[in-house]
Amino acid sequence: MSALLERLAPAAELPRDGFTELRSQAQKVLMQHGFPHRKTENWKYTPLTLIEQRAFAGSLDVGTPPAPPALPFDCAVVHMHNGEIDPSATRLPRGASLTGLVADDVDVDALVADGPNDAFAWLNLARLGQGWKLVVDEAVKRPIVVVSTVDADFEGAVHPRLHVELAPDSALTLVAVQTGGGAGLHNAVLDIRMSERSTLLHAIDRSGGDTAWIEHATVRVAAGADYRAFISDAGGALTRQDLRVSLDAPNARGAIHGVATLEGRALVDYHTAIEHHVGPSESKERFRILADDRATGVFNGRILIVPGADDSHSEMNTGNLLLSENARINTKPELEIHAEEVTASHGATIGQLDDDARFYLRSRGLSEREATALLKYGFAAAVFDDLEPGPLADWLLERLKSRA
Amino acid sequence: MLKIENLHVEVDGKEILKGLDLEIGAGEMHAIMGPNGSGKSTLGYTLAGRDGYEITEGRILFEGQDLAALAPEERAAAGLFLALQYPVEIPGVNNAYFLRAALNAQRKARGEEEVDSMAFLKAVREQLKALKMDEALLKRAVNEGFSGGEKKRNEIVQMAVLQPKLAVLDETDSGLDIDALKLVAEGVNRLRDEQRSFVVITHYQRLLGYLEPDHVHVLSDGRIVESGDRSLAERLEREGYAFLDDEPAEAAGA
Ligand SMILES: Nc1ncnc2c1ncn2[C@@H]1O[C@H](COP(=O)(O)OP(=O)(O)OP(=O)(O)O)[C@@H](O)[C@H]1O
Ligand SMILES: [Mg+2]
Repeated sequence: MSALLERLAPAAELPRDGFTELRSQAQKVLMQHGFPHRKTENWKYTPLTLIEQRAFAGSLDVGTPPAPPALPFDCAVVHMHNGEIDPSATRLPRGASLTGLVADDVDVDALVADGPNDAFAWLNLARLGQGWKLVVDEAVKRPIVVVSTVDADFEGAVHPRLHVELAPDSALTLVAVQTGGGAGLHNAVLDIRMSERSTLLHAIDRSGGDTAWIEHATVRVAAGADYRAFISDAGGALTRQDLRVSLDAPNARGAIHGVATLEGRALVDYHTAIEHHVGPSESKERFRILADDRATGVFNGRILIVPGADDSHSEMNTGNLLLSENARINTKPELEIHAEEVTASHGATIGQLDDDARFYLRSRGLSEREATALLKYGFAAAVFDDLEPGPLADWLLERLKSRA
Repeated sequence: MLKIENLHVEVDGKEILKGLDLEIGAGEMHAIMGPNGSGKSTLGYTLAGRDGYEITEGRILFEGQDLAALAPEERAAAGLFLALQYPVEIPGVNNAYFLRAALNAQRKARGEEEVDSMAFLKAVREQLKALKMDEALLKRAVNEGFSGGEKKRNEIVQMAVLQPKLAVLDETDSGLDIDALKLVAEGVNRLRDEQRSFVVITHYQRLLGYLEPDHVHVLSDGRIVESGDRSLAERLEREGYAFLDDEPAEAAGA
């Protein structure tokens, strides 16, 4: 593993700038804890051998990036290509601004090293080049879409970092469209801070391609603020998402709705955590995995209600569809309840497609293939029941349909 | 239209239909009654081509074609429709979307053009209205959270939209309130013409009073044991199935 450290985070080499101090601090943590290994519980299903085998040699030629894919709804697009954003190509709606990150934006003391678990987040900081900060001051109607792409022959390692700050009473729809390409590493950190009564609808649509796509996201939710994620992930050679939602003040709400539709040899590993630090607070999580062929889907959902966070309510539901004998799904809800007067529940089911349902559809004229696709789609789409109808929902569902 | 000859069907290695004969002409309506577990739904599933319903002897001819060779969707496209005794819930699949996909799949299989979506919606809305169903049901997932009666009415909406040549209604009347029963019967009667045939499976005389079937059969232990006109249904309603034991079973076609 130290060979990997050497390759991904060689000491020095980056030019001196405002981040130098931060980088060396992070580098120290990384050296001390190292990368996850086979015995690291949180990483045991993510095949890091794939990363170990890669050279990450290719230097990045930042030419003119290709145009980002067009989206069928009115939105403002921020295009991140090979880990970099060209600010001149970015036009944001009123009330939102995008600026370069400065060292002070990173509260390194608040980052606790959790053994090798967060190694890639530390790596992101140790190799920090470009970082961005999206600040939202008011209720912004037009969705902001951050489209992340990499070249088809991309073989390097990039470590983009995006901070999102929502002012009190502001609102945003943030959509992440992420499309992988070549056999490199896209190791992102997303740091979201939500002030009082702000609301964020966070949609993610991802297909990782050959790229090892790793994202470590943290969301801090203040009093009365409302965070909701809607995720559709087709996975890739290696896709790993950590999403931690911290309900930090009374009446904070957090919800994660996610679905992974996997085929071929796609792999997705979601580790989510919703932490109730005070009550009253409310959370909801729904996650579904559909795995066909030789795909692997992992979901680990942790709900923590700390001592004293009374009157907290949490509801988690997971469901999986195993569509081939060679596919694998590992689902683990983890409830840690340390407070009084809380309700927390979880349901988990693993199943195959329902024969009754398939016969019903075929008896109405759909072919076996159409019936199967429709049932898969229906199973997946149910995760988005809480998303209000509109162009964004239509688009997410259309994407899902194309993957079912 | 339909000719069933000496039909033997096994489910999970157990023989359920044991030599069933039945012939249904174009435009005819036949009612099938019979005790619980006698094989009525098994007959419906076998006609529709459900996996696991194995024909071990005999055959089913639909417009001269042996059904055994056809997949369920091919039978649907050929004009066969089965309203299920227990309609299935399909979470996440929009009712209107499903119905249009089904109609278009059938039309495509027959080499016809896709339906115009406006005309389709209009037709479905009319059916819903006729059956006094809330239009909101179109946007809901297929049968999910529908009441028992709404599920049954939804089957009739599907039938009306798909316009089959032969419809098999498996206890579509059970679970319906008195008014809904009448609406369903009217829905069925609207579709009747000289070409379209029906098999109506029921336990009760009430539905048959509205539908006035041409023939009534009693299915017992996997065979048709009695056939007659509407008066047979009335007799069954009065006396139950007990009298069947006293009379020698008659092999009966129509
Ligand atoms: N998978 C199965 N394995 C074994 N027996 C079965 C299976 N499915 C159905 N049967 C049996 O077949 C018989 C006929 O069932 P069927 O559902 O056709 O009856 P029915 O006449 O429709 O009854 P009801 O009036 O209650 O609807 C029953 O005894 C039932 O238990
Ligand atoms: Mg039955």
